[in-house]
Amino acid sequence: MKEIGHASFQRRIAIMVGAGYVPGINAVIMGAALAAGKLGWEMVGIRDGFDGLLHPDRYPDGGLVPLDPKLIDNLDPAAAGLLGQAPRVDPFHVRTVNEDDMVEEVDMSDHLLSALKDQDIDALISVVGGRGLSILYKLHRKGLNAVCVPRSIENEIAATMVSFGFNTALSFTIEMLDRVRQAAQSARKIAVVEVLGEQAGWLALQAGIAVCADAVLIPEIPCDLRTVAARLKDKVTPRRPYGLVVVAEGAKFVDGPQAQAPPSSLKASLSPLSTGDASDHVIQRSGQAAETVATGLQLLIAEETYPLVLGPWVRGGAPTAVDRQLGLGYGAGAVRALKAGKNGVMVAFVPPDMTFVPLTEAINKVRTVPTDSEFIQIARSLGIFLGREL
Amino acid sequence: MSEQPVNPSAPTGIVLNIQRYCSHDGPGIRTTVFLKGCSLRCKWCGNPESIAFKPELAYDPRLCVGKKECGVCLKPPFPEGAFYVPDGADDDKVKVNWDLATDCDEAMVALCPTKALSMFGKRMTVDEVLDEVEKDASFYRSSGGGITLSGGECLLQPDFSAALLEGAHKRGFNTAIETAGNVPWAYMEKVLAHVDTCLHDHKMTDTERHKKWVGVGNERVLANFKKAYETFPGIDFIARTPLIPGINADEEHIRAVLAFIRPHKNVIDYELLPYHRFGLGKYEMLGEVYELDDYKTPSDDLVARLQAIIDEAFGRAGGAK
Repeated sequence: MKEIGHASFQRRIAIMVGAGYVPGINAVIMGAALAAGKLGWEMVGIRDGFDGLLHPDRYPDGGLVPLDPKLIDNLDPAAAGLLGQAPRVDPFHVRTVNEDDMVEEVDMSDHLLSALKDQDIDALISVVGGRGLSILYKLHRKGLNAVCVPRSIENEIAATMVSFGFNTALSFTIEMLDRVRQAAQSARKIAVVEVLGEQAGWLALQAGIAVCADAVLIPEIPCDLRTVAARLKDKVTPRRPYGLVVVAEGAKFVDGPQAQAPPSSLKASLSPLSTGDASDHVIQRSGQAAETVATGLQLLIAEETYPLVLGPWVRGGAPTAVDRQLGLGYGAGAVRALKAGKNGVMVAFVPPDMTFVPLTEAINKVRTVPTDSEFIQIARSLGIFLGREL
Repeated sequence: MSEQPVNPSAPTGIVLNIQRYCSHDGPGIRTTVFLKGCSLRCKWCGNPESIAFKPELAYDPRLCVGKKECGVCLKPPFPEGAFYVPDGADDDKVKVNWDLATDCDEAMVALCPTKALSMFGKRMTVDEVLDEVEKDASFYRSSGGGITLSGGECLLQPDFSAALLEGAHKRGFNTAIETAGNVPWAYMEKVLAHVDTCLHDHKMTDTERHKKWVGVGNERVLANFKKAYETFPGIDFIARTPLIPGINADEEHIRAVLAFIRPHKNVIDYELLPYHRFGLGKYEMLGEVYELDDYKTPSDDLVARLQAIIDEAFGRAGGAK
């Protein structure tokens, strides 16, 4: 292996994390740094996504963090991310204010690649979500030596069985659902709790199973609210005068009810190509699924319902034991990929193995819940209604 | 009105859309020409397709007939991975990977037989635009209307805008522009030389808050407007505020704007533009995320209360009680 710049190290590699905190990020950094150190490689962390390299002037202590053994020894895997956060991590569209004081988006991908080269960094480990994988794939096509680690609260990234962060979110969701159930019990109402899951219902389904919810509504199984109401009517009795429904934020409805804001009478005189605020293109708001289900059920049965939204609450907190182990495993796996000469790959956990898949196998795909999966069978066996008779 | 030279080497510009029969963009019945490119990033923007200078890809899934019947965009020359059909989807309509589709150009988009793919914006000449505008010339004459340049920020194409407005004047049309004013003064001066009515935005009074919500401070914007009022006494200036509850829909802002504009007699009115959510659909067509998703439109009562303050300042009946 060639000597690069820093005489005592065989290779110099960098690690960066994408936008948004996911519990277990520090464990990934730790795993990668320890594995790299064992190989005699130097590892540095890039602050705030790519900002540490693209805008080093913003960092008086430097945009790169040397991940030396002393720092790693004292790194708390349960603390917030060591390398910080950036709201956007896309070097192809970096928002900036130019010399004429005008806001614009500029392509800084070439600048990023040359900055990596200037720093003698010959490979990059990127801890990114679904969109970040596409951006890293683009950078890889431009010549970046890249290995990605998938990160997702919703566990919807394809080609890997479990992303780190999911278990922490699941554990917190279960704890909250237990509390909601107790509150619903004493209030004698039906609680409708919305949890994360725009495209995949893993969080709703697995949490719903854990607390034995009355119904779980996920995007993969468009639900019929009339059938849900009929099932709840049987379950909510004078002896058990409460209910718990878990709904993923991306839940779909066969008869298409949507909680819509009242139509605006204002003219869109400045908006020539608008499609109206109730078109197919309207971006769903957080809380809309819970509101739709709670309102719909209350109209169909003689019970009081109330919506709750857990969504953003699950994005923080200390990682669980599972996510710590996964994080360390993913970080070390990324270094193993580089050692094996892999490039343009994502580390994937396919039990019992940590393996590597080309980025093209992970992008443009979503890991959804198969309708014949074991989790679906378990839910049915427990008497949990999944929105529609299959 | 001072005459500024129009650059003859810039006879073309990037036009987003030409909208006829407009009644809110200046006097009379008007044709509004929306130009591409903006120098601000207002979080409530209702025209996201106007922000970038270059023509850009748009996708309307309602028009897509799916992979089985078509599938053209899943093959070369379209970029690898730019379009795909997800496994297990309800239908076989394509989805766009907006990060990989950035290299799609007009020639590729033209291959889409159903027009599900299109481009926001195209290059046009001054005469092409004016010939389109001319179609409603009879309405302009009867109503006192004409052409309005909007955007985006129409002043970011100063030579094209000046040439359009000069040409419009030659054809006898009234001219107006809509601007947020965040451009070098030279751009503004060049275009204003050919303007009859200038509709201009006062989005935020405090410069730090201006920076937070639209991307840059407002010092230059205010300096430009003040200079414009003084340099072009013959123009009718109409101040405007896009009214967004929780951001600028408060009495303090309205009174601050009135204090800024009232000393200038050629600022003939101040209009409130209540925030609307009509632009949301276009964000999805561009693969963008709308950042102000949870904001509501202002209530009728709030708009009426703030409008009363303006009416009182302009000496109109029914002012603030």
